[in-house]
Amino acid sequence: MSAPATAPAEAGHHEPSKFHYFIALAMVLAVITGVEVVLVYMPLAKWIVTTALCVLSAFKFLCVIFIFMHLKWDKVFCTILFFIGLILAGGTMWALLHLFGADAAKPLTSNLGLLVL
Amino acid sequence: MSSHAAAGQIDHHHDHTTATGIPNKKLLWWAFLASDCMFFGTLISTHLVYRLNPPPGNAIPTQIFNIELTSFSTFILLMSSLLMALAVNAIQRGNVKSTRVMLLGTMFFGCIFLGGQVFEFTHFVMVKKMTLSNSIFGSTFFTLTGTHGTHVAIGVLLLGMMYVRTFKPTSGNGLLRNFAHLGAVCITMAVSFIWFVPGMIEVVYGLPLGEFLRHHAVPLSVGVAAFIAVLWFGRTSGTVEFGEQNAGDVEAIGLYWHFVDIVWIIIFTAVYLLEYL
Repeated sequence: MSAPATAPAEAGHHEPSKFHYFIALAMVLAVITGVEVVLVYMPLAKWIVTTALCVLSAFKFLCVIFIFMHLKWDKVFCTILFFIGLILAGGTMWALLHLFGADAAKPLTSNLGLLVL
Repeated sequence: MSSHAAAGQIDHHHDHTTATGIPNKKLLWWAFLASDCMFFGTLISTHLVYRLNPPPGNAIPTQIFNIELTSFSTFILLMSSLLMALAVNAIQRGNVKSTRVMLLGTMFFGCIFLGGQVFEFTHFVMVKKMTLSNSIFGSTFFTLTGTHGTHVAIGVLLLGMMYVRTFKPTSGNGLLRNFAHLGAVCITMAVSFIWFVPGMIEVVYGLPLGEFLRHHAVPLSVGVAAFIAVLWFGRTSGTVEFGEQNAGDVEAIGLYWHFVDIVWIIIFTAVYLLEYL
């Protein structure tokens, strides 16, 4: 490596390194992923496991966007902008799942026998 | 003037020359990622809607999925996010050498993820007989995970372009050399995720190593040659243009890379894990 390419590292005016912080977070995320996989094989009530999986995923999601993606250190407008998209996406998912979760949305082929009768 | 500007420092989170105080490139990327959220939101919803109301004769996901491999892929993608964060951290401190290593590592981990997906898709089509068109589950699954995989592949390409850019010399443009370098990086990565990684997974599942090497001798040889070319082009002599002032560009690519990671976090839970309950 040529000296000029790395020389600024010693200039001493950089922001503090987040190296250990990022490593610790990655380890936490890896452990949570392991816990998620183990959870689905645990003899627990379905609603408990589903809730736990959703909470753990949301936690991982928030950790990545706020720490790895630097939202924590950036202007709040970046957070607002991203959450506009996120809320619109979440609202669309909620609406679609409720709309098509209704009985009327079940595939016609599954009621074919009843129609024939 | 802010204290940062007065001291001649680079403030990597704020840009005092824009009305919002946010660098324009970063603002553009956040707006794009917000729109991409809606894109993936509709794809995930479509998959879940058809899973809630499965038509008769639909594929049974738990008989098709290989949860061990998918968990490994998820772990790899999380670790690639770590390397990407470290690449941004390194360039913010002006350490170009470390940035290059982290970018290469991120690309390689991205290729392992893509290779896992190539293996998975091949296995689903060839062994499990689930195609894009023979079941609703296949249609929504391949569309969703394939779109995500395409995003990862685009991310690897963007990282490759950023990696090559770190070698741009201060004097002379070196355009031809940079194109050749990028070509070598692209060939190495393509061979990695199309042949090398899926082949190594086959070896883990019992395929003899000799048979794998014999069967894919030509593409693997091309990949090795391209990798040697990447190392050769990576020899540095003289000063480079790239430095701490480019931290915003690396961070912008990093935002995209972390985004594909968070999308996978949702897909892993909603599409794979919930099927096992």
